[in-house]
Amino acid sequence: MPERVVVVGGGMAAVRLAEQLVGADVQLTVLADEPHAPYNRILLSAVLEGTHPADALTLRSPEWFAERGFDLRLGARVLELDRAAGDVVLTDGERVAFDRLVLACGSIPTLPPIRGLVRRDGTLDPRVHPFRTLADCTRLSTALTSLVEEGRSPVTRPRAVVVGGGLLGLQVARALAVRGVLTEVVEGAEHLLASQVGPAAGGVLARDLRRLGTEVYTGARAVRMTDDGVQLDNGAVLPTDLVVLTAGGRPSTALARRAGLMVRRGVVVDSTLTSVTDDRVQAIGDCAEHRRRTTGFVPPAWEQADVLARVIRGEAASYDGLRNVARLRATGLEVAVLGDPLTAEGEVVEVTNPVSGSHRRLVVHGGRIVAAALVGDLSRVGLITQLYDRGTILGPDEPGQLLLPEAAEAPTPLPDEAEVCACAGVTAGEVRACGSVAQCVEATRATTGCGGCADVVRRLVGGTTRERVPVG
Amino acid sequence: MATETHCPYCSLQCGMRLAGRRVPEVQAWEEFPVNRGALCRKGWAAAGLYGSRERLTSPLVRDRESGEWSAVSWDDALDRVAAGIRAAQAAKGPDGVAVFGGGGLTNEKAYSLGKLARAALGTSQIDYNGRWCMSSAASAGIRAFGLDRGLPFPLADVEEADVLVLVGSNLAETMPPAARHLDRLRERGGRVVVIDPRRTPTADRADLVLQPVPGTDLALALGVLHLLVAAAAVDEDYLAARTTGWESVRDSVAGWWPERGERVTGIEAHELRALAAMLAGSPKVMVLTARGAEQHSTGSDTVLAWINVALALGMVGKRGAGYGCLTGQGNGQGGREHGQKADQLPGYRRIDDPAARAHVAGVWGVDPDTLPGPGRSAYELLDALGTDDGPSALLVMGSNIVVSAPNATHVTSRLEALDLLVVCDVVMSETAAIADVVLPVTQWAEETGTMTNLEGRVVLRQKAITPPSGVRSDLDVIAGLAARLSDVPFATDPEEVFAELGRASAGGPADYSSITYDRIRDEGGVFWGGERLFAETFAHVDGRARMYAVEHRGAAEVPCADYPVHLTTGRVLAQYQSGAQTRRTRALPDDGPFVELHPLLAGRLGVAAGDPVRVATRRGSMAAPARVVTTIRPDTVFVPFHWVGANRLTNDALDPASRMPEFKVCAASVASLLEEVAQRPSRDPVTHA
Repeated sequence: MPERVVVVGGGMAAVRLAEQLVGADVQLTVLADEPHAPYNRILLSAVLEGTHPADALTLRSPEWFAERGFDLRLGARVLELDRAAGDVVLTDGERVAFDRLVLACGSIPTLPPIRGLVRRDGTLDPRVHPFRTLADCTRLSTALTSLVEEGRSPVTRPRAVVVGGGLLGLQVARALAVRGVLTEVVEGAEHLLASQVGPAAGGVLARDLRRLGTEVYTGARAVRMTDDGVQLDNGAVLPTDLVVLTAGGRPSTALARRAGLMVRRGVVVDSTLTSVTDDRVQAIGDCAEHRRRTTGFVPPAWEQADVLARVIRGEAASYDGLRNVARLRATGLEVAVLGDPLTAEGEVVEVTNPVSGSHRRLVVHGGRIVAAALVGDLSRVGLITQLYDRGTILGPDEPGQLLLPEAAEAPTPLPDEAEVCACAGVTAGEVRACGSVAQCVEATRATTGCGGCADVVRRLVGGTTRERVPVG
Repeated sequence: MATETHCPYCSLQCGMRLAGRRVPEVQAWEEFPVNRGALCRKGWAAAGLYGSRERLTSPLVRDRESGEWSAVSWDDALDRVAAGIRAAQAAKGPDGVAVFGGGGLTNEKAYSLGKLARAALGTSQIDYNGRWCMSSAASAGIRAFGLDRGLPFPLADVEEADVLVLVGSNLAETMPPAARHLDRLRERGGRVVVIDPRRTPTADRADLVLQPVPGTDLALALGVLHLLVAAAAVDEDYLAARTTGWESVRDSVAGWWPERGERVTGIEAHELRALAAMLAGSPKVMVLTARGAEQHSTGSDTVLAWINVALALGMVGKRGAGYGCLTGQGNGQGGREHGQKADQLPGYRRIDDPAARAHVAGVWGVDPDTLPGPGRSAYELLDALGTDDGPSALLVMGSNIVVSAPNATHVTSRLEALDLLVVCDVVMSETAAIADVVLPVTQWAEETGTMTNLEGRVVLRQKAITPPSGVRSDLDVIAGLAARLSDVPFATDPEEVFAELGRASAGGPADYSSITYDRIRDEGGVFWGGERLFAETFAHVDGRARMYAVEHRGAAEVPCADYPVHLTTGRVLAQYQSGAQTRRTRALPDDGPFVELHPLLAGRLGVAAGDPVRVATRRGSMAAPARVVTTIRPDTVFVPFHWVGANRLTNDALDPASRMPEFKVCAASVASLLEEVAQRPSRDPVTHA
């Protein structure tokens, strides 16, 4: 009988695992607590911005799961994990038996300590929006639309305060701004993106945001919701219609903790993604803690799903906590963070240009790029990412060359022996010996093949540029 | 009087006139629609092999003990070959002999060769080098459209597109006269996109150039489609009316946001957005793939991914738009239609289809049950030679395997393990040089035959000059062997063979039955299936195109510590394929192989332009001078494949659907040979087994 694999969670890690288990000898059940088919969470800020349609987020449809014999349960909420019985217990009392349990529960937004966020009756202040799920995104988008439709005077634009200046906060801030919302960002650390980049890069970003019309308050904490807006710890009040919470998500570990699995920040797993407490239980994605680290990004979650799928198939595979590339998806802001440029060990090659507003840092160890931060100037990000991912050993000058603009080649006059017409094998000297393009065509057949050299030939014979080259 | 004929080289099959019976002279044939008189230097020099001292004019046999060649009579040579085939089949059964054809053979030869294998020899073991050409596009075209014709429209339609996307084509060097269409397209205000790891002369004529990591064209297509969905630029009405499978394709690209694509392909997110924006706003988009996209272990899926882009935009079947494959070899199209492919009978019929077997057997006058089933694909066939289960005798026609096969050192060792290797060629090619019997055959222009060009246009190469005495046509060789080994009749007159081919193909997907030599002469070539396909319907039973949700898998071999760069291969303008003809043509420059690399990489290795470097892979190594250019990706090196060496490096990983080897990417190391020599003067040449 095939192994019964039960996945708790229907997010991006869970879908990836299902994709990798197509054709494996397993009986797969995916318990997704959200009501929608598994969708691409990465795109939510683009949906908010209006650059991606909300109905094109589905990663795999319920039919896809069904056609592969997978049991996808949407809106299935898990009450507890009964390890002794080998069951997952749903809130409606149903028990789903497993041979192998995969926790892919993701993370949940934490509410920052802002007074008045939760009202006396226990509900969230209606102006406050977490931003994690499609439902959050839809609710925020609806709120925006109704603000616009409320018939406010055209000169008064809706206002929003984004709490948190990390990657998600910046994406949401830019999305709101693109939608025409007057947006401000409040970040508790001394600069933006503080867990990924240093102060110089953060400064570049703050300046870019201000240039785009979004005010940034760093080293400032929101402490209270007032009738007018959000009060900061320095006493200032930012008037606002909306508050979007993007700071602080934490791994969703309540089920694991209650089931007695070892949990620190996340569910503690070894290099086969297996719980150190129970070898029938595995964890991937945001909820997993491997080598004392949780991630919160899609690429490591997918890598873990790939490794776990191989483990489930009985292949030798291990996760070594590899490489992450974080790319900001925010119109007008250019950020790429490879690895951990703040803590990675190595020598730093860095170019900061406050005049043009760019900061580029490579951390190089043993000739390899082990981390990088590119802010404000992403040139060669594709190549740098390849070199980082491949662990290519570079020469001593290369990191510096990679950070500088590519040198333009100075045009040089063609030497006589240079071939100008490859189709007919004609050199510049042979063309120069001709009195006209027509004579050149007659004598050498230059320009009669692919026609690509026609301009050069015209220049070399010194004829007028209006002379027509016969199209052969 | 000049004879109208066609160039001996690429799939463009440029029209040309040949004048003079003693010393042939190439002249322009302005009226021929495909090239309108334009030729590249290969075409102008096409007659260069006529009268060459390297021309073979007598059958030769090689003594295995001494390695000495001796000339023998045709009868003696054919008797020896027939005896060897009999011995192989006596020992190993019908499949003891194999046949290997080529995409440069005329339709008549391709047809007769297939008939020889199936009807006279009774072997299933036949395939050809076209498997290494456009088989991935062929496989994808059949799956998506139900029919494979490289271009389902005349090449000149390219000029009508608003955006032309060339994926892995360097047509300005590989089929130069075709590049004129790009210029006319741009004069009209259209735009050209070139996708290639190298900034080629074709890219010089483009409005947007993307240089992806080799082996990631599929991911690039998924990223493009993601953005087209995001921009609501897909043609939902078209998709609903003319395709199936769109929903799952749409879902499958939801996970390909541009920044993920960037990490995989190396194409920066803003470049990908620029391409998608260009496609989204254009009424007529045409996507053409070539070997750069197709010669991968994921080649057929890569083509399907680009076909999905064209279908999603509602372009396939629209004039001046759609999808096409730029076939490579001269008769790459016709060569894959008439039965030299392992799984196929004439007319693009399937050999496992009982109705097809009955029809073709009827034309051949044999019992359908005597026809063999499908055989091994090209690489798998060569890999099996001389093994316990494989053939022990091989007849090669129109192919120079030693130079052109992937993992060539291994393949050569398989050829050497044969009991009998027979090669038909015009010169002593590298493959002929290790044969037991070499049969000297007529070349282009010394014989008549039809070719089917990249557009599916059947053209007539007319005999213009007299062959040297002592050589025979491939058709004569086939008939001579058939007469010795069976009772099945074989015609040797090309027009007669063509008529028989027409009957054999009648009713098949590629039906030539209405085409005659006279029609070809009168009409400037004849398209099989009609000039333009898919305007109303596709060739599947339900008339719809099929969309497949394909996944990016990546190259079979990716860089690692020992082999840290990508290696890709390709052609140069003045040479053609294995160079058997062009390297012997004095009017064409032969500068030898070279290794193209970026200044960043050259600096890392301490290599200056012109320095000898060694490129090594897990399969072999080669040395050549460095060319340091800024036009190539810094993590990639390029070697042209016209000379022995390049294919000792290439990977034999096969595409699961098309059985195409992964010629276009593998992991390699590069080192300065100067340093190697200085540091390790006594070191033996590196070979990695």
